[in-house]
Amino acid sequence: MAIPDIVNSVVAMDRISVVEHIKAAMENGIPIDDILNKGLIQAMDVVGEKFSNGEVFVPEMLMAAKAMQTGLEILKPHLTGDALMEKGTVIIGTVKGDLHDIGKNLVSMMVEGAGFNVIDLGVDVDIDKFLSEAQTNDADVVCLSALLTTTMPTMAKAVEAFKEAGLKAKIIIGGAPVTDAYAKQINADGFSDNAPGAVELIRKLMAA
Amino acid sequence: MNRVLFNFDNKILDQIHNSSLELLKETGVRFPNKEALDIFKLHGFKTHGDMVFFLWKDIEKALTTVPETFELHARNRDNSFVLGDDSYRMAPGYGPPFIIENSGEMRPAMLDDTKKFCKLVQTSKALDFNSSIVAQPNDVPAETAHLDMLLSTMLLTDKPLMGSTSSKTCAQDSLEMAQIIWGNIDKPIMLNLVDSLSPLQYAEEMVDSLLVYSRAKQPLIIHSSCSMGSSGPITLAGSLVISNACTLAGICLTQLVNPGTPIVYGLGGSPTDMKTGGYVNASPEDAKHTAIVTALGKYYHIPCRSQGALTEAFELNYQAGMESSMMLTTAALSGAHVSLHACGTYGSMLAMSFEKFLADEDLCNAIKTLMKPVEFSEDAFAMDMIKKLGTSGNYLIEPHTAKRCRSEFYIPDLNIRAIHSKWLKMEPRQMDQRASQLLEKRLSAYEKPDIDPSVETELIKYVEIKKGQ
Repeated sequence: MAIPDIVNSVVAMDRISVVEHIKAAMENGIPIDDILNKGLIQAMDVVGEKFSNGEVFVPEMLMAAKAMQTGLEILKPHLTGDALMEKGTVIIGTVKGDLHDIGKNLVSMMVEGAGFNVIDLGVDVDIDKFLSEAQTNDADVVCLSALLTTTMPTMAKAVEAFKEAGLKAKIIIGGAPVTDAYAKQINADGFSDNAPGAVELIRKLMAA
Repeated sequence: MNRVLFNFDNKILDQIHNSSLELLKETGVRFPNKEALDIFKLHGFKTHGDMVFFLWKDIEKALTTVPETFELHARNRDNSFVLGDDSYRMAPGYGPPFIIENSGEMRPAMLDDTKKFCKLVQTSKALDFNSSIVAQPNDVPAETAHLDMLLSTMLLTDKPLMGSTSSKTCAQDSLEMAQIIWGNIDKPIMLNLVDSLSPLQYAEEMVDSLLVYSRAKQPLIIHSSCSMGSSGPITLAGSLVISNACTLAGICLTQLVNPGTPIVYGLGGSPTDMKTGGYVNASPEDAKHTAIVTALGKYYHIPCRSQGALTEAFELNYQAGMESSMMLTTAALSGAHVSLHACGTYGSMLAMSFEKFLADEDLCNAIKTLMKPVEFSEDAFAMDMIKKLGTSGNYLIEPHTAKRCRSEFYIPDLNIRAIHSKWLKMEPRQMDQRASQLLEKRLSAYEKPDIDPSVETELIKYVEIKKGQ
């Protein structure tokens, strides 16, 4: 029962219960990777789906993500290698000149909840910073966010800079004024207009 | 006329005010702008990094120099108006980068759309001035789009206008273009929107624009808005406090730079859609916010701005009408002096629509009629006529009726008042399609307002040179 209990505790946003059930699972000799993948990450998939269906609200999803993170902290010392790094590294930030971060934060939390190693660069991030962080961390996906139409052209420049630098990282974009057509126009690797969609997109790009 | 929808106990307004002061003193407001920080330091304000802390005496001093009313001058004097009196002034959408067509398709806005909207503003009975970004054109470079938009406004309309606040350069260019028309600018000729960035900060570019326009003593709408539950508290009380603190801090800076700079006080507070994290502009909470904000504007004796005919809808349907009407009517009846976004927006200000613009004009005109004081003159009582006709009269044939038949009532341009059989045969019948027809008529009837040819040439030349740089 330990793994379903972990899933249920995360879905119920109950941090204390998550910790208790993880400890119990570890004592019962359940493999750490199973606790992570079938427990915590599976729980966030459930939460993500409920969120997409409108059953779970944003603050509840974030509380669930926090419960998941609390559980993850207990697992970390026991993880062989770095299980999170194995899933992939995602770099995210709001582009230069733009200080809006609500949507970016939502995506960041959900991607992290899906088990990826997320490096959130914050807001007003210049292209060089995206490039250097992607190189240093061997990023798999870079997510660019913008709310202002005046900062959207920075996304195009960033995509160009990444292609020129020959980095392996895929670049995806999002933000209220951003569209699929714009993503195609600037040769971005993908676009999502919502946070769960961004997670799915990253999974697809990683599987490709 | 006392236009107050809700009567707020002064104790509540005191509480909002005092809580805002507490934030200003203890938490401060972030101004990531060296010039602004130097000004605050010069005036003895406590700063810590980018954070500036305010005392009541600072705010009080600033509020005493803000004029209660001011006149916004138009190129055509007949279109100038006073802000802060009993009147309510409206402008179209501000900032949407998309156009939604009747088919539902959303496409990037183009400069040609901007020009069409300018023509509609010029011929509008409802709108009093033009916005500086009625639709953000995507077919011109973003860095110089403000020049194209301003040129369109200046040449195609002669109503009051707004300047660009996208950057310091944009603000300076706006003023330089205004100087070509007005020469030495010694009066308010350009209204400019400075938005803060919730919670409790301003973006550097906005502060740059604030400084440029304050130095030129041009009126500024200092507006703070938060998305309740994400960039501010989920509660109305908390969001009011956080936005009020930010607006007061911005107003304070304008008065330090140039005491007497005309200000329009603005707060916004829209719920975050808890199901998606999105911004919900059209809501009863936002409308209630508007009502309290206008009360706060009066509390500070500053003209105030409210939201416009906003909707979450993407087509001309019941939702669009219901939400737009709720938002704009609340603003009008609460006593707001200015509304941006009064015509044309869909989807939380994401897109403009020509058809919605025309439908909103009917709404604006209806609201202006609603607000017009009821006439109680001798002629309006018409006692002699009433006595003469008694119980058998037909008022339709009376000269009193004929004299007033075109002016007494609100007459919609788009809304129908037909009998059912006529409506059924109407071609086209759908409102959005009838709006498209009306759009063609409006655009074909448009006449460019007169302008001194040398001024027009100079404006065009200025824009060409600036674009070349």
